[in-house]
Formats: sequence, structure tokens, C-alpha cells
Amino acid sequence: MKRLLLAIFCFLSFAAYANEPTATTEEATDKEAFSPGEMILHHIGDSHEWHFATLGDEAHGTHVTIPLPVIAYRPAQGLSVFSSSQLAEGKVYNGLKLEHEHLVSEDGSKVYDFSITKNVASLMLSAALLLVVFTAVARGYAKRGSGAPKGIQSFFEPIIIFIRDEVAKKSIGPKYERYMPYLLTVFFFIWFNNLMGLMPGGANLTGNIAVTLTLAVLTLLITLFSSNKNYWHHIFATPGVPKALLPIMIPVELIGIVVKPFSLMVRLFANITAGHIVILSFISLIFIFGSVTVAPVTLAFGLFINMLELLVAILQAYIFTLLTAMYIGGAVEEHHDADYQMGGGDGADTAHAH
Amino acid sequence: MSAPEPTPPPRSTPENTPDRMRAVAKYSGIAAQMIATIGLSTWAGYWLDGHFHTKTPWFTLSLMLLGLFAALYNVIRSVTKEQ
Repeated sequence: MKRLLLAIFCFLSFAAYANEPTATTEEATDKEAFSPGEMILHHIGDSHEWHFATLGDEAHGTHVTIPLPVIAYRPAQGLSVFSSSQLAEGKVYNGLKLEHEHLVSEDGSKVYDFSITKNVASLMLSAALLLVVFTAVARGYAKRGSGAPKGIQSFFEPIIIFIRDEVAKKSIGPKYERYMPYLLTVFFFIWFNNLMGLMPGGANLTGNIAVTLTLAVLTLLITLFSSNKNYWHHIFATPGVPKALLPIMIPVELIGIVVKPFSLMVRLFANITAGHIVILSFISLIFIFGSVTVAPVTLAFGLFINMLELLVAILQAYIFTLLTAMYIGGAVEEHHDADYQMGGGDGADTAHAH
Repeated sequence: MSAPEPTPPPRSTPENTPDRMRAVAKYSGIAAQMIATIGLSTWAGYWLDGHFHTKTPWFTLSLMLLGLFAALYNVIRSVTKEQ
């Protein structure tokens, strides 16, 4: 549904853009045509500075930005660290310049870019926020023990319990406990960053494929390193498959090992990016039509999608965590054809006493 | 230590949301696996045809069909087991 919307609005906005120069030829001389595609890609992409707003027009207005540190390493010149404001508006500094947000050197030599970009800065912010919030929660448990939770602790306790009981115990089974730190971290990391991405001026961190790739690779590594012999038996001698078909099925199962985290990566990336694009497309419609009369309609739709994104933010975090737990559960399971409802079973009940 | 829990477990009913989510999630990657299986086997056949300079692309044809078969077989197998 969302992909469909995304496709429709991409086409709609480009069609409108193509029509625009003919409609406003007299205006085009003093004002640059609004390009929704460019604006949207700028908003969902990473950047070397944190841009909040532009007052006035693009060329002469004031840009409200936070400059971020650029850290570049060139084998010949070594390390250079400077503010990204030195590179603003295509300026050249120290033989370096930005080309479509890619740091390149003027002489074409190789540049390794370790800059604190907008996404990295946002990641650091969210890591600090997560640390502050969850050390407060942990302090609550240290102080009150199993007593009634208080304050921020009582908000997060049901969510943590939900992840433990409904996700980890049911998917992984008796050995769930050692995977709880990863599952909780990944859940709250994705959820917090999804929400921070929805804030005005926020970075699109979980809609960045490098971030989701890292999360998916972590899931893959944890799955592989915790796998037991049943997991590999299931892959190399799948139960219920005739011997003659095994040469075909082994590659399929091996592909499956990689495809599972790959789909995790793409799902999170596509959902968050698509949501951002849809909201921005609705807002762009005002500027595409160049009229304030469409604003109530497009803003209502934009607000609706934004509310939907609040739901998607927690849903995607939940799905990522659930699937991670299920993949781990498949890797640590003892008897492969046993029941999948590990819920109220053996190890789960004793865990309540902890 | 902990308070007496409301023991009748309502969460064991299959109508429960997390369990339904689990069923949905279990098969959510199935399409990606089909695409990867068919795509990779076709690509392997295409590469082999280029490598051996075959006149008729037999490798592409056979491996594509094999990949299609394997993908479909895998889907059927995974949805019919553990009922």
C-alpha cells in the first residue's frame, strides 16, 4: 500500500515538475523552479552539515545550519579535521570539496571520509539519549528491586516485559536470556531512531541502508555464532526432503541464510524511507501547485501519514526484533521438529523468579 | 518475591496478536527467498554461458528452470510442514 502510494506520488510530482517551466516562464527568470525530487532526496539523505531551514530563497537567504566536523584522511596529506562550514556552497578548503555530498579532493586523489555527518551526529545523540533513559531505568531496578516501578521505569517496564515474554521466550525458548541484551538494544535503538527521524529537523538514520545493513549483519553473526548442530543439520539434510533433491535444496537453504538478514535490512530501510518520501511529497504538492488552496488537503494527508509513521516506527522496531529472535530461535533449537510454542513451557516459567 | 500472577494465560490462544504477528513474520521473507533463488541461479547460468561461449544459452535456461523449481518446492515445503 505504502509502496503504491510512493510510486504514485513520485510519478505525480515529476509530471507536475515537468509541466512547471512552461507555466511560469516569466517567473523562472528570477526564481529557480522548485524541484521536489531534489528536495526529497536532500531530506532523506546524509549530509556533512545539519540543515534546519532556509530563510529567504536558496541563493540569497540565510541557512540555519549546524556545521559538523569533517574528518578526511588522504594517504598523501594525512589527516585533516575542519568544520563543514568551510565547504559550504561548494567552497574548496585544503584541496577538498563536496560534490553531491561526497567529499572529493580537487586533484582526484583518494579521500577516506570519516566525517561526523548528520547521521553520525544523530546516532551519537540517540546513543546518549538511550544511555540516559536506560541507566535511569536500571537505577530504578537497583533501588526498588522487584517493587513497584516509578517514573520513567514504569513506562518502559511493560515494553521490556513484552519483548521478553512475547518475543524472546516464545521465539527462542529456554535459552532466551543471553539474547535479551541484543534484542532489547535493537528494539529500542530502532524505535528511538525512527521517532527521532520523524521530528522536525531530524536525521533519517534508520532509513539509511548502511545503518540497517549493520543491524542485519549483527543479527546474521549472532545467528551463525549461536547455531547448533540441528541448525546445520536442517540446512544440509533438510528433514522431509528426498535425498535426490538435496543437491538442489542445499543451495536454496544456504541462500536463505543470507536472504533472511537481507530482507531485514531492506524492510526497515524501505519502510522508513518510503514514509519520509510520502510525507515530503504531500508537502511538496503545495509548492508544485504553487497555491495555498491545496495546503489544507495536502497537510491533512501529510499529518495522517505522519500519525501512521508513529505506528510504523514501533511496528518496524517490533518486526525487526521479532524476526531476529525467530532467526536466533531457529539456530538454537534443540529438536527441530518440536513445537514452536515455547511460551509457557520449561525454561520460561522458572525465569519469572529472577 | 513477585506478586501472585493472574495465572490463566490468555496469551496461549492463537488469536493473540503476537502469535498472529509471528505467523505473518515467519513467511514474510519467503518472497525475498524466491527472488534470490531464481535470480542467483539464473545469474549463475548466464555467467556459465558467457564462460563457455555457448551458442544456445542452455545453462541460463536450465538453471533458471531449476531455480524456479527449487524456489517453488521450498515454498510448498515450508508452508505444508508443521501443521
